[in-house]
Amino acid sequence: MNARIMAAPAAATVRRSRYAAPGLYLFALPATLLFVVFIAYPILWVTGQSFFTRSAGGAPVFTGLASYREAILDPVFWTVVRNMALWGAITIPVQMLIGGLLAYFIERHTIRLRGFFRTMFFLPVVTSVSVISLVWVQIYAPYYGIAQAYLKHVGIVMTSSAIGDASSAIYALILVNIWQWTGFSMLMYIAGIAGLPGEVLDAARVDGAKGWRLAVHVIVPMLAPATKSLLLLGVIGTLQTFPIVHLMTGGGPNHASEVFGTLIFKRSFVLGDTGAGATLSVIVLLIALVLSLIQIVFLGASLSPARKERP
Amino acid sequence: MTRIKGLRRLVGLAAAALLGTGLAAPSAQAQQKEVTVWSWFIQSTMQKSIAAFEKQHPDVKVNYTYYNYSPEYITALKAAAASGSLPDVIGLQPGSLTQQYRDDLAPVNDLAAKAWGAGWADKVFPVNRKQMLMGNPQGDENYYIVPQESQVLCIWYNRKLFETLKLGVPKTYDELKAAAKALTAGGYIPMFQGAADGWQNENVFLMLANQFSAGIVDKAQAGTAKWTSPELVSAMKAWKGLFDDGIFQQGALGAHAYPTGAQLFAQARVGMMALGSWWMQESKFPPPLSQYIQNMDGFDFFYLPAVAGAPGASPPVGGIDIGYGLTKNGARNPAAWTFLASLTNGEALQEALNDLNDLPAFAGHEPKGDVSDHVKAMSARFMTDLPKAENQRFAQPAVAEALDNALAGVADGSLQPEAALAAVQAATDKALGK
Repeated sequence: MNARIMAAPAAATVRRSRYAAPGLYLFALPATLLFVVFIAYPILWVTGQSFFTRSAGGAPVFTGLASYREAILDPVFWTVVRNMALWGAITIPVQMLIGGLLAYFIERHTIRLRGFFRTMFFLPVVTSVSVISLVWVQIYAPYYGIAQAYLKHVGIVMTSSAIGDASSAIYALILVNIWQWTGFSMLMYIAGIAGLPGEVLDAARVDGAKGWRLAVHVIVPMLAPATKSLLLLGVIGTLQTFPIVHLMTGGGPNHASEVFGTLIFKRSFVLGDTGAGATLSVIVLLIALVLSLIQIVFLGASLSPARKERP
Repeated sequence: MTRIKGLRRLVGLAAAALLGTGLAAPSAQAQQKEVTVWSWFIQSTMQKSIAAFEKQHPDVKVNYTYYNYSPEYITALKAAAASGSLPDVIGLQPGSLTQQYRDDLAPVNDLAAKAWGAGWADKVFPVNRKQMLMGNPQGDENYYIVPQESQVLCIWYNRKLFETLKLGVPKTYDELKAAAKALTAGGYIPMFQGAADGWQNENVFLMLANQFSAGIVDKAQAGTAKWTSPELVSAMKAWKGLFDDGIFQQGALGAHAYPTGAQLFAQARVGMMALGSWWMQESKFPPPLSQYIQNMDGFDFFYLPAVAGAPGASPPVGGIDIGYGLTKNGARNPAAWTFLASLTNGEALQEALNDLNDLPAFAGHEPKGDVSDHVKAMSARFMTDLPKAENQRFAQPAVAEALDNALAGVADGSLQPEAALAAVQAATDKALGK
């Protein structure tokens, strides 16, 4: 009761002071302007464009929601949805697992070569996607490729390219993506491990936890914020996938490795139908929104271990 | 006091200098006209063209911006068009790319007639002239693209490898198969196909389709013939045969023509490759060049021999390699047309031809300077064939994309030729509003 009595005048004071000094709102102006100009306006503009269709050289024609219906009825759209689901379902946990293991072994079991291993495993993250794509196309190439050059010593002859086969193209690209981004997961977990409170670990050891038990029952739960961050970034990264696919397969063969990024690019810039591209962009935005809300509901909005729940 | 006087004098002198600079600067700027150009055209050659142009027109400064074609160039064009900030001159391909920017381009008919005479279009090779109008609405006879260079598609082969393996130039499909087999047995890639690239697949398919009926692809894309016609089905089956018969290398569907295929071809690890007249430019690239590329000594070309059921070998297929459009912004800058005219039919074009970039689009030009007799002879053969070339380009990007998917699907065995072509027909019907 007392707390309520004390809280009411305090809130009133805050409200009064804001009204008394409207200039304070000016501090929010730069962020608001940036949001409106670079986020809100483009979203509204793209949403507006999604209600029109335009063929090469033709004038825009209002189609309303028909463009959404057409997009969803297109079999290629569902190929893309399947590919995106595979991409997220495979890359996110595999990157987390390998990245986490790398971080654990580097941080717990190396001393002198710690910096070396961290750098080596992080190197693909900072390497140009163009370079990575060129190298991996050569690795996958049968007959004259890099992998073939080694495999021939053990009598293996590659007769097809994994990225040239409709049944394996998406998995071949997922492998490249995992190879490139696992170092980022490792770095996040290294940061998480470095921030673990020593007293908790010591207490766990005193209680007899060690090795696998210590890792699974103490360290992994305490790394939950890093895991949540990686999950969130993984989902966003999956929906943003474009350069590796564009450079290695172009979404082919025959749409087999198509992702939202390449499909939107083709519709907008190759076919010149900016309306169809905008429609797909809005759909991707809605999917991202739904997935983010699901994560917030089930995992919570907090990504920091330092945040305390309100009493 | 003396110091103040001195200071005043100094300030006076500085003001006079600033005033002088201020007065002089606008007059210098007024004399120096500027033209902005965007394209994916190779930068080193373009710089030579610009230097030749600026020598003839010292009052004009050309600012060239090079982009990779995809995705950089086509996205930059789209963004610039949306914001009304296109440069004066833009590089274009005929058909779909030109049509996408038709509203932003100025027709050049009158400017060209004034510069080159009323019959100027007759000097443009017929296939190019056809492509210049490709995709225009019915009744619109305006030219929105001026071609700079032409190309003829062909099969290049490494003649030194062929000599080593005692192979002749294939004149029949069986000889082609035998050559591919001998190359494979010799540890070489028989015919490199960058089948991950739609453009190279289209080119080979056009060679095949025109064997069965010259001009049939043109008719099919215009809606006057069916994609499911027997000739095109036969061509699609022949396309699949190139994979099954070991003509193309294993794993071709995951390979890219550039840079992988071109590098392997230049290094004599490949026997044959379906490219076009532009391959001659490799010999003008900065050293070191392989012994095969030097003066194109290692290379020569032939047209794809008749496949089973086809009445003859592939006729020449080709058209505009690259052209340029005058934007509506550029139409307000007289120097822009002056440069465009030079680049397509003047001193700037000559520099590109001397670099063997490709064949001219207008009759009456040929490469000059440091060009070997072998290259001159090959260039002359291409030029003989260019006037009778069949059209290589597509008016509707949706049709080209559908064909790319059909070719990939047939090649990997996931589609039957008839079903694949039915999908192309459906895309064509939709694009034509049927």
